[in-house]
Amino acid sequence: MKTGQELRAGHVISIDGQPWLIQKAEISRSGRNTAVVKTKLKNLLNGYLTETPYKADDKFEDIVLDRKDVTYSYYADPRYVFVDSDYEQYELDKEELGDMAPYIEDGIDDICEAVFFEGKVISITPPNSVTREVVYTEPSVRGDTSGKVMKPARLTNGTEIQVSAFVEIGDKIIIDTRTHEYKSRAKD
Amino acid sequence: MTNIEIKTWDIFCRVIDNYGDIGVCWRLARQLVNEYPFKVRLWVDELQALKQIWPSTQICDQQILDKVDVRIWVGAGADDFANDIIPADAVIEAFACNLPDIYLTAMKHKVSQPRWFNLEYLSAEDWVESCHGLTSVHPQLGLKKTFFFPGITAKTGGLIKEGELLDEIKRFQQDKPTKQLFLEQLKTQLPSDALLISLFGYENSAVASLLEAWAQSPTPIMCLVPPGKILPDVSRALGQELTVGDSFAKGSLKLQIIPFLNQTDYDCLLWACDINFVRGEDSFVRAQWAAKPFVWHIYPQDEDFHMVKLDAFLHRYAQTLDIDTQGAITRLWHQWNQGKDCTDAWNACLANLQNWQKHNQNWRQHLNSLGDLASNMVHFCQKTL
Repeated sequence: MKTGQELRAGHVISIDGQPWLIQKAEISRSGRNTAVVKTKLKNLLNGYLTETPYKADDKFEDIVLDRKDVTYSYYADPRYVFVDSDYEQYELDKEELGDMAPYIEDGIDDICEAVFFEGKVISITPPNSVTREVVYTEPSVRGDTSGKVMKPARLTNGTEIQVSAFVEIGDKIIIDTRTHEYKSRAKD
Repeated sequence: MTNIEIKTWDIFCRVIDNYGDIGVCWRLARQLVNEYPFKVRLWVDELQALKQIWPSTQICDQQILDKVDVRIWVGAGADDFANDIIPADAVIEAFACNLPDIYLTAMKHKVSQPRWFNLEYLSAEDWVESCHGLTSVHPQLGLKKTFFFPGITAKTGGLIKEGELLDEIKRFQQDKPTKQLFLEQLKTQLPSDALLISLFGYENSAVASLLEAWAQSPTPIMCLVPPGKILPDVSRALGQELTVGDSFAKGSLKLQIIPFLNQTDYDCLLWACDINFVRGEDSFVRAQWAAKPFVWHIYPQDEDFHMVKLDAFLHRYAQTLDIDTQGAITRLWHQWNQGKDCTDAWNACLANLQNWQKHNQNWRQHLNSLGDLASNMVHFCQKTL
């Protein structure tokens, strides 16, 4: 059990039977040495966001979520199928892909982290970086090799991303999935 | 969730210390029952404090006082609270007290979930505005509770103020015979040119410097002290054990220990005096409505955190004052709350008394524009959860 005073960003707590991720917890001292904790919460089942105050002595059940490495297997319209090392399959809707959604395409072998609540996958987290091919971008302008000028590019699955001006169609690029930013061209 | 018509209120009050908890809850309960068509139950865990401020209180499990159904609430355990109580349409847990488990369960099972408020402590800090009116969900029961903050800005819940209060104050202050009669009942002989000051506070070693400053004052001062935590320090400063009925004179200062006043008479005291020293939350709010200069002794907190709250209030209260008056009031409030010598700060305030007096009239106008706490809470209930 955690009290309101002990809540921190990153904790997952149960509120009315649902798992909520604490994105932010600000403690303010009220009267008579009591405190109010203002939290920013995200519902891990439906993604709902809310700002909610609690008293410092309110009690919360901790939730320890199960996590497992999975890889993307195939698309079975409208669901995306992931598989773990035991070949157990997990199906998710596009909305449930979360941070993985921009990087899903056939044939990828990235090791992702599946998060489970009561046996059900509630989110997929991609690795910190992935490598993807650019299928369209404007040709680079001769001489523009500083890397500081950016231009839009499109990946195989249609995701748009800003890349350095010298990136060409067919280049494989490394993307930081935490910020959705181009890092570099991948070495062959 | 759809609107339910609010007809009944339950207010839960746990008396921790002093008279602030019960003082605020009692005023709120009386206002809800007398100014609105509501039935109100006030649950208190001990009645002695209520008896002090409302002497007709009996020490018994249930009674009707000024139309409020006052009930004793012994504890939070399942065995301590009656299991046949049906929760009201609106429930207030005052000052973050915890409701009895059995009552919470009853709220959960009620067909229409009550509007549930946590009535928080009064503070002028910025964070209060960002939390006022926000709803949280009980982690285990799923019940929704709104955090409601009294306050002095438009983004908070306002202060407790009865509908007729300002008219009552005006009538009292303009009616010299009534004021005279009130003071005579306190057995106070007020010199015609004296500044009348009420002194109510927590333990405070600074009182010695203040009393000495008053004794040296160019203006005669009459100080009225009700029994309370500051009385031992007053006695110590004056070198004699003082009790109710005793008086003391030195230089320009006449000081009198008056009886403990009920809530109504204490209001009259604030209205009658020229300057009020107040403490905590209830008398602090009432002094603001009296629109007379006041000095606030804030409830002390660990690591001197109360000074942050004091400064938050001063920042809003004093911001429209001229530099000299602002500086004088700030210094006096700081010295008073830190138990330090108040002589110079007091003299500076006295020199700027006219500005300070006018400012409090303006301050009351500002507070009045916010709507009072009870009506703001009632209007809030009309919003769908």
